[in-house]
Amino acid sequence: MTALLRIVLVAVVSLALAGHALAHPHIWVTMKTELIYAPDGSVTGVRHDWAFDDMYSAFATQGLDQQTKGVFTREELAPLAKVNIDTLKDSDYFTFVTADGKKIPLSDPPADYWLDYNDTVLTLHFTLPFKQPVKAKNLLIEIYDPTIYVDFEFAKENPVSTVGAPAQCKLKYQRPPEMKFTFSQGKVLGEAFFNSLTPAQNWGARFANKIMVNCG
Amino acid sequence: MAIEARHTSLPLRRAAVAAAALGILLSAGAFDFALADPFGVSQGSPPPEFGGFAGWILAEQSMFYQMLSGTIRSAKSNGSAVYALLGISFVYGVFHAAGPGHGKAVISSYLVANHETWRRGIVLSAASAVLQSLTAILIVAVAALLLNATAKMMDDTVNVIETVSYIFIILIGARLLWVKGRAFTKLLWTETQEHPRDHRHDHEHDHRHAHHDHEEEDASAWGHAHALEPQELAGPRGWRRGLTAVVSVGLRPCSGAIIVLVFALTQGLFWIGIASTFMMGLGTAITVASIAMLAVGARGIAAKIARAKPGRGLLFLRGLETAAAALVMIFGFLLLTGYMMSEKLMGI
Repeated sequence: MTALLRIVLVAVVSLALAGHALAHPHIWVTMKTELIYAPDGSVTGVRHDWAFDDMYSAFATQGLDQQTKGVFTREELAPLAKVNIDTLKDSDYFTFVTADGKKIPLSDPPADYWLDYNDTVLTLHFTLPFKQPVKAKNLLIEIYDPTIYVDFEFAKENPVSTVGAPAQCKLKYQRPPEMKFTFSQGKVLGEAFFNSLTPAQNWGARFANKIMVNCG
Repeated sequence: MAIEARHTSLPLRRAAVAAAALGILLSAGAFDFALADPFGVSQGSPPPEFGGFAGWILAEQSMFYQMLSGTIRSAKSNGSAVYALLGISFVYGVFHAAGPGHGKAVISSYLVANHETWRRGIVLSAASAVLQSLTAILIVAVAALLLNATAKMMDDTVNVIETVSYIFIILIGARLLWVKGRAFTKLLWTETQEHPRDHRHDHEHDHRHAHHDHEEEDASAWGHAHALEPQELAGPRGWRRGLTAVVSVGLRPCSGAIIVLVFALTQGLFWIGIASTFMMGLGTAITVASIAMLAVGARGIAAKIARAKPGRGLLFLRGLETAAAALVMIFGFLLLTGYMMSEKLMGI
């Protein structure tokens, strides 16, 4: 009997610990990222351009004041941009920076952020400064949503660039495993991929877009 | 678990298996993968074998969700795309409900704790899925169509509804826990009193045909446990209680449905969005009902085994119900505090 009660207890406790649920992506972001360098060769931060999928763009712009139908000016989108930036803080701007293996803290974006709307696609532009400029041999910037609610993907062409980087620094980037699905190219992550994940791993991190700078 | 069970007698071992099965079923909704551990203790809580199946579910629903926008767009010019959309919506609903989400976890626990019947289990889980579709449609129709509200306002509305829904779940769980916990401790007390036990009635059978006039006799047969008994549930009052559970779970709309509805609205195809949402609801209803049926079935097996052991078996059954009741409340708290995430709307 006590064994049974223990089993029930274990079931309850493990359920209580089950914690975060994993949503499937509801928002798709196609991004371009720029690394900003100070004259002394240290990195001061990154600049993101995030384009949302058209379904989410339609949802996010719903009910916003507009002068011309189908057109949103930067000013008309300013309140939404503020909501975006404020909300992003809770998610650490989905940007995780490591310098020579050490985590680098980020500051909140300055007020120069904005949204634009072109061809039913909403794009968020913002700067994300590091708390302190970073000079590192190996800099790693990962962009992902740990809950996979937002799916990030580097743009097809020139997704990553540097501004004023020292000549000896080499820039590389790495796309996450494919998690896009379309009618024509049904590239689906296999069962094997998911089985290869151990439970302790951070799921979202497996879908990280990585930027690596080596200044060796 | 297996080692524990080996030391117990055969019927109890089977009961243990049933309990384990029940645990797995109840966890179906809550066992997602260890992301950042909410309690900071980290390192492996859920069993790894969930990864494969759950990962597959995740990939499938992801795919179908992405198909939705394209199909809505083509439905604008091509009428036959509407049928494709309805089909995709339905399949998306089936997979989406199989993935993480609090709905089926709460409903399954509720059904086990409350000793509900198969029929009622189906009706309750289906009703909650349909209600979910209705709230999504209602929110978008009123907020976006009539008031031209912004996405932020809709998000705020959903947040309020969500909070109310979670508080409801906590209250339902607390009430169940009070009733079931009392029955359990009373029974535990009588068990430990070692009084002669010769009343070996066929309880389960009794209850299936129970009427209100049996209440007295029955209550004493269950070791003076005046708990929420099946005969009480069978009446209209029981239905009303069940509806409270349905409302508390179904109140919170699916964020995917809201995004799809608003998108359809901007494409000038709101009615297609509504049809799609109902198909999602239908798919969700089927999955949630099936999972609820598994939970009810597992409880039935546990009850059958418990009957073979009049004293301790009943105690075990009551313990199971108490645990399930506690689970409903725990889910409510986890949801309210954000440890068990459901879905957000304004992800960014």
